[in-house]
Amino acid sequence: DKPKLTSCRSPEKETFTCWWQPGHDGGLPTTYALYYLKDNSDTIYECPDYHTAGENSCFFNKNDTSVWVNYNITVVATNALGSNFSDPEDVDVAYIVQPHTPENVTVNVMEDKGWPFLRVSWESPHKADIRSGWITLIYELRVKLEGEEEWEEHHAGQQKMFNIFSIRSGSTYLVQVRCKPDHGFWSEWSSTTYVKVPEYFFRERSLWILVMIFSSFTLIILLWIVHMNSHSLKHCLLPPVPGPKIKGFDQQIFKNGRSDEILSALMVPNFPPTKSSNYEDLLVEYLEVYVSEEQELILEESKDSCLKSDSSTCDSDSGRGSCDSHTLLTDKCGEAKRERRASGEDSGMTIESQKGWEEEALSYTQEDVATPDVSSRRVKTWPSVFSTVPQYTTSPLDQKTSLELSKQHCLSDTLFPPGSSTKEVLGPNYWEFDLSNKQSHLPQPQTHGSQQLQAHSDVNISYTGNKQVPALLQLPGFKSTEYVEVQKVNQEDMVILQPVESDNCGRDEECPHVLQGEDYSKVKGVGSDNLLLLQSGVKARMGDEMEANGVSESCYTSSSFATTQKHIDSMHSATIPGQEEPIRATTGYVDTTTMFTLPMY
Amino acid sequence: MENAWFAVIALMYLKYSVMADAAPICSYGQATCHVPSLADLFDRVIQQSSRMHGISTDLHSEFDHYLPSKNFIGKQRCHTYAILTPDDKEKAQRLGREQLTEVILRLLMAWGDPLSQLHWSMSQDQNQDFNQYRSNKALEISDIVRELKDGVIKVAERMKRLGLNGNFVSYISPENVDPFSAISFYKRGELNSVDHQDLLYCFRRDSHKVKTYLRILKCSTFPTLDC
Repeated sequence: DKPKLTSCRSPEKETFTCWWQPGHDGGLPTTYALYYLKDNSDTIYECPDYHTAGENSCFFNKNDTSVWVNYNITVVATNALGSNFSDPEDVDVAYIVQPHTPENVTVNVMEDKGWPFLRVSWESPHKADIRSGWITLIYELRVKLEGEEEWEEHHAGQQKMFNIFSIRSGSTYLVQVRCKPDHGFWSEWSSTTYVKVPEYFFRERSLWILVMIFSSFTLIILLWIVHMNSHSLKHCLLPPVPGPKIKGFDQQIFKNGRSDEILSALMVPNFPPTKSSNYEDLLVEYLEVYVSEEQELILEESKDSCLKSDSSTCDSDSGRGSCDSHTLLTDKCGEAKRERRASGEDSGMTIESQKGWEEEALSYTQEDVATPDVSSRRVKTWPSVFSTVPQYTTSPLDQKTSLELSKQHCLSDTLFPPGSSTKEVLGPNYWEFDLSNKQSHLPQPQTHGSQQLQAHSDVNISYTGNKQVPALLQLPGFKSTEYVEVQKVNQEDMVILQPVESDNCGRDEECPHVLQGEDYSKVKGVGSDNLLLLQSGVKARMGDEMEANGVSESCYTSSSFATTQKHIDSMHSATIPGQEEPIRATTGYVDTTTMFTLPMY
Repeated sequence: MENAWFAVIALMYLKYSVMADAAPICSYGQATCHVPSLADLFDRVIQQSSRMHGISTDLHSEFDHYLPSKNFIGKQRCHTYAILTPDDKEKAQRLGREQLTEVILRLLMAWGDPLSQLHWSMSQDQNQDFNQYRSNKALEISDIVRELKDGVIKVAERMKRLGLNGNFVSYISPENVDPFSAISFYKRGELNSVDHQDLLYCFRRDSHKVKTYLRILKCSTFPTLDC
């Protein structure tokens, strides 16, 4: 088989070596010879040196090497079978230069204004004579991080030094260099040089300072945002649990954990109405209130506004949730509406209900536990009611009245300023009530019970908003207190109420018994001059106080009676400072608002 | 009409002035004019020779690529064979500056015409595919060779002025009296692409020689870091 000349290389353009590949020699000992012709002369020369360059090679030393001369080289393989000539190859030394690798590659870490960089320097291969200009070499180097795959290559031209920036401190880098004559072959990469870049604390530190400043800014901004929204955030994260503060109810009973006591505390005759399937008994009576046509517009009736009435669907043990029945409410509302429009009927009913109320009120005052009676009366309720909150603080409630407490509704309180524990639950509905002039009983601003429902004044309170108030009184969850906010006084001397949108008052939720106290006042009563005595809402803390006394919080009615600005002719606005005092002693302040007297329809 | 004549005359004047002096701006020796130093001249010249060699290599490889690589066997020679060139580093160093310069100039002068012929011949070629590129390259090469020759002459003169080139004779009688004889070396008559290849092979080699000699010349005159 023919031998084949594989390659010829010259490291410095002064000598060169040729290698061949022996062909299939058939197992016989074969000798190889290399012959060449120089530049078209006819003289055949043989390889001068077969050994220096190793096996199957021919080395041409300086004397035998001529540059820019065409060598025509042939390798002959000879064995017992014969000779075999390789294909001749033309070689010109000038074009087969492949230098050795660059030498003395050194890498130093240097610093430029605090930032490190690598300075790589090397020397040309010692054999290549670039000093005289015989050979011109160009260099190339490559760098990579220890452990990485990719090399970063840099072309260095003819210079023997190169700077590498953008390096990381604390890492180890690998550097390699190679060279090539301007027309020739690249040398091999030099052996790897390792360089470890020390940690540059200065650089790192400035970075840390930046990071810290930035993060502190972010933190400050976050804190500020949180602070701004702290209130709503609190509500979001920790929704105020409506603590069932039942008037006249001693929470200690629960804490003691004695079931019989608990039951007795909670127990009210006929309640829970397990026996009586007539849940209506429990229900708050709806007071039918007549609303004049003009006010109908104001009145907003939403389906939601209807109180829950029958919660026949309620479970006795469940919370309010199951009680609320929207459809029921709607029905009721519908009824209510209808009734409302029928003024004639209304008035009659109103009167009746009022009377009934009075009775109830009385009964309440007399008995501490009168809830069931009250509840027996059905009152049509309107979604929003402005209720005067009777003053409680004073008397510690009996435990028996806990039921009332539990049922507390703002309304009931207002209507029956009981003073003592009768916080009735007159349903969570607020109703309009007429405070008529004629019957202006001035409720004594006092605590205990003699408060009658001075609901007979002529004040027509129409509520504008409506909020659905869960009607059912269930043990713990009374919500029901809807807070009514007096929205304005309209032309007709009507106090327009708007139920306070309390966040938690939803159909299925319990209204918090505590409202932001400041805004709300309870109508404590109607003064002699047709003054509406308002008691500003007792705040939670007051409620706590009251609880201590066994008085649960009552509903606070809100009277945003900033409408003192409204002046209606027939209205009297007055304050009753004198009367306030005693009130103050007990509970909070009373805001007086303008009170209008309206003719009773 | 007169404008056209005027323009022609102006252009001719400019052309000749350019030819006369490589830096016409400096012909009046203004103070702001930067007269290049010998080292600068050397660098310029070496750059040009490098470029020349690069293009020649490209062209040659083009021919090699498209045509079967032709073994330069036989009696063929390059037409510049008569010019004795050192084929060794030692020999080149032994020559001395003047002779080296002379060799360079001879080579460059010998190639001026054949390259023009080459360009002309290439542009005549039927095969338009890659010939346009090649013909442009050939034109470029011939231009470079001419410029390089002028540059080397300037270098030599400067060296002589500096006392480095004592015996340099700037006027060199051309080797080939007959400009067409050079071509006839490669083929009688019209050159075809095969002839092109031979011609380019020779030229590539000679350009490499020129480049190397120039570097040796520079490094022996200015043993700087570059060398």
